[in-house]
Amino acid sequence: MNLGISATEFVSQVKEGTLSVEEFVAKTLERIQKVDGKIHAFITVDSQNALDKAKAIDKKIKSKDKTGICFGMPISIKDNICTAGLKTTCASKMLENFVAPYDATVTSRLKSEDAIIIGKVNLDEFAMGSTTEFSSFGTTRNPWNTDYVPGGSSGGSGASVAALECLASLGSDTGGSVRSPASFCSVVGLKPTYGLISRYGLVSYANSIEQIGPIAKTVEDIAFLLNIISGHDTHDNTTAKNSNIDYVKDLKSGISGKKIGIILQMTGDGVDKEVASATNAAVSKLQDLGAQCVPVSLDAVEHSVAAYYTIAAAEASSNLSRYDNLRYGFDFGTEGYEFKAFISKARSNFGPEVIRRMLLGAFVLSAGYYGKYYLKAQKVRAMIKAQLDEAFKKVDYLISPTMPILPFKVGEKIDDPLKLYLTDINTVTANLSGIPAISVPFAMSSSGLPIGIQLFANSFKEKELLQAAHALQETTSLPEINL
Amino acid sequence: MVEKKEIEHLADLVKVDLSEPEKYIKQVEQILNYFDRLDHVEFHSDDTLGIQIAKDDLRDDVHEPYADSLIEHLKKDQNNFIRAPKMV
Amino acid sequence: MTKIGLEIHCQLTKLASKLFCSCKAEYRNTTPNSNICPVCTGIPGSLPLLNKKAVEKAAMISLALGCTIPEKIGFFRKNYFYPDLPKNFQITQYNAYGPTSIGSDGKIEIEGKTIRIRRIQLEEDPGRLVYEGTSEKTMITLVDYNRAGTPLVEIVTEPDFETPKQVRVFLNVLADLVENIGVSDPYLEGAMRVDGNISEGDGNRVEIKNVGSFRDVEKALHFEITRQQSLVERGITVLAETRHWDEARRITVSSRSKEDEQDYRYLPEADIPIVLIGNDSIEQIKTQMPESIVARRERYVKKYGMPAQVADVLSSDRFYSDLFDKSHNETNAKEVSNIITTDLMGVADTREKKLELKITSKHISDLADAIMTNKLTRNSGKSALHEMVKSGKSLADVMSSLDLGHVSDAGSIEKVIDEVFAEEEKAVAEAKQNPDTVNYLVGKVMRKTKGKADPATTLEILRKKLSS
Repeated sequence: MNLGISATEFVSQVKEGTLSVEEFVAKTLERIQKVDGKIHAFITVDSQNALDKAKAIDKKIKSKDKTGICFGMPISIKDNICTAGLKTTCASKMLENFVAPYDATVTSRLKSEDAIIIGKVNLDEFAMGSTTEFSSFGTTRNPWNTDYVPGGSSGGSGASVAALECLASLGSDTGGSVRSPASFCSVVGLKPTYGLISRYGLVSYANSIEQIGPIAKTVEDIAFLLNIISGHDTHDNTTAKNSNIDYVKDLKSGISGKKIGIILQMTGDGVDKEVASATNAAVSKLQDLGAQCVPVSLDAVEHSVAAYYTIAAAEASSNLSRYDNLRYGFDFGTEGYEFKAFISKARSNFGPEVIRRMLLGAFVLSAGYYGKYYLKAQKVRAMIKAQLDEAFKKVDYLISPTMPILPFKVGEKIDDPLKLYLTDINTVTANLSGIPAISVPFAMSSSGLPIGIQLFANSFKEKELLQAAHALQETTSLPEINL
Repeated sequence: MVEKKEIEHLADLVKVDLSEPEKYIKQVEQILNYFDRLDHVEFHSDDTLGIQIAKDDLRDDVHEPYADSLIEHLKKDQNNFIRAPKMV
Repeated sequence: MTKIGLEIHCQLTKLASKLFCSCKAEYRNTTPNSNICPVCTGIPGSLPLLNKKAVEKAAMISLALGCTIPEKIGFFRKNYFYPDLPKNFQITQYNAYGPTSIGSDGKIEIEGKTIRIRRIQLEEDPGRLVYEGTSEKTMITLVDYNRAGTPLVEIVTEPDFETPKQVRVFLNVLADLVENIGVSDPYLEGAMRVDGNISEGDGNRVEIKNVGSFRDVEKALHFEITRQQSLVERGITVLAETRHWDEARRITVSSRSKEDEQDYRYLPEADIPIVLIGNDSIEQIKTQMPESIVARRERYVKKYGMPAQVADVLSSDRFYSDLFDKSHNETNAKEVSNIITTDLMGVADTREKKLELKITSKHISDLADAIMTNKLTRNSGKSALHEMVKSGKSLADVMSSLDLGHVSDAGSIEKVIDEVFAEEEKAVAEAKQNPDTVNYLVGKVMRKTKGKADPATTLEILRKKLSS
């Protein structure tokens, strides 16, 4: 049985009757058993429920009952997205025992289409990080070379898909956290427009910026999943009221006649040589397909990392205030304590990166500093969006390498937070401005490490963006995972 | 210049016990210095981004009891209260 | 010179649901933690959903207090840690970065003095704390989130009050106002809470919190003024601090834990988009506003010729003015207003008693008509009213069961008067001497006829007999 098929191929085969859902799910669980010891993508595997559901779906199909369009597709979900009855830990000791009492909207939409939630996957604690090394439950490893990081914060999502432990995953992207693991793990990852996908059930880190995003092997799979999980939600007032768009339809319409802008600030010095040459190759291929590629300058990108971390830290310091271990959390009794002493002791169980960001956030919001940092960072966001709007008057898409560097070894950058923050230079622009961006696996480095290429479109233009991503995907053929 | 006192003050604002506040000094200082570059940005506009919603699109004032008994999922005592240490 | 400013928290008790979720806004008499959901308890991943009607009701309060309503309103987080705050921040409004709260720069006249309203904001109430044992000894607080998320409007005035009495009058006017608009029942326990700040001359400002009733507010302010003045007299500086009202000892006491001097690190609430109210909406809300107390009073005086005092009393009580509006017709308005203000309001003066009233507008209308057509004397009318209030029986039933009917024929009255003359020789003699004392005899006739005798006829016949 080939676990390496795409999610949409899986659906065809099940519909045709050539694939049993129960068999596929059982094989998937075997695979997880076999490789996750090395990868550590999963925090929770929901084996029994997954198998039960798979059996039930096979039965529905056999008796020709109406079946959801996922047909039992096994999907992993980042452990900061609520799944009723399953632990949702955010890879934090603070939520070690937290079982979500409700399903996130994305979870329930997938479940109503008969997707199978095979388990919850690892992340940097509370989604704060770029390598998944800040998880309190151990680091996830890159399936292409387990000495290397898988990217982050949705490292478990990227790795579980790349390692064939599931057909697709939902991650979350605040500063690049879907696109970075997609790039480092050679899979496709989309950060949608802010407001396209409901955040109800996504544990907040930086709520004016973050979005849930799908990760899968192909652009077709992304379009398929987007049809299910996107769209207005009455539980989330920040979701847009947009008409029902079919992202699958006309996905293959190509890129001929389109204009693509190469972002100068993301393709200059500081970009690894092999990454730069992969980017040039991608541009070349797109030109061969009939696209016109021109350089574009967005000087506001220079301020984007400072603006991003200012806002993210500020919002994190507030969003994480609720974790005081009184209503839910972990085992730690209140007896004998005074209130402030109790919660301060309980909250000392946050990891160092989370603590660092909360301290920074408290600083930039503290009395007198609002105008100096937070307000300026918000003005930078508007400036970036204004420059992007100008650029999109001249081009249809923008392009850059997803990450300016190749995947690096576990432990290599963990002692230098600022250095790590700077690796987000290519990704935070899309988060700050709200526009959609997708990472498409494009090449392998000479040492066998994945390189992804990032495409951007203007707000709510996911349909066009996926068409360009699909065109790019078809220009390249990548090796299969050797794990 | 970030001092240990400053770190302790920030830790108190976010209510986190730091056994070794000094460990955070260097990195917090480095990052704040990086944030200071925002002072040198030339803004041509005071605009900020923000989504809007029309008043009429807000939630209607209807009572709908939550479909589950939420307290059963939380750390409650035998009388369904949450126990918290008293604030002094 | 005394300067007093107020911060009033008023619950929007007439809403059906909480400010950011669909749990019930009315949390009183619920079992602990039975009126909660992921949103009002801040469960990870939950998101606030602003209540449309709360915005409209808060806008009405702003309009009624002469405030400016901005076209766009926004919400902020006030960050601090406390056991009753499920998210350890409160979603509120904040004007430091621009006027984004539901109302600002208003004013109201109280006894000839203009009180400026600095701002009005919408915010959520925290949960409730119950102490295990006495609050001094215990180390545990029990938290009930049923109230968490209840919609509140905070009204902040400038320090324009000069006396505690002005404050008390203002609070009563405000209570009437919110009740009249239909946003709140201010007499429900905890529905209206007042904090005051007070300074003498150039002295520091002292904040007084935790005052229970409006009456206590006046007392607390009196005490505080005296305390500050005596310090000033002795040359001691008044400390800028927060004090709370100790109900048992009737004094203000310095608070051990201070909420002031806290750094709240306000930031915009990104889960709630900026709300576009728009001028059209504001105009529409204006048309939906119920008649103001002032306008109603004028209407009563102009249209029905009500005496000023009656109009004052009737217009300021929403329950009874509604009853008046429903009960009267073109002819009996004055009588109806009389019945309500003179008799009924005295009988049912509290919220509970009003709710228990079995009387309807038809009862009152019938009663007014009966009195006006002389089928009942006013005295009998009083008895009839009491019976109807208690039993809810129709006027006809009550009249027959209590044998109330107007006795106006001179013959029957004369007979009763003769009886009275026989029984009250002394009084008769006195009345012959001093005609003013005839009322005693009138009273006796009334008692004998159970109030049914027509007073005018009785008096006429009595006078005739006395002078003969």
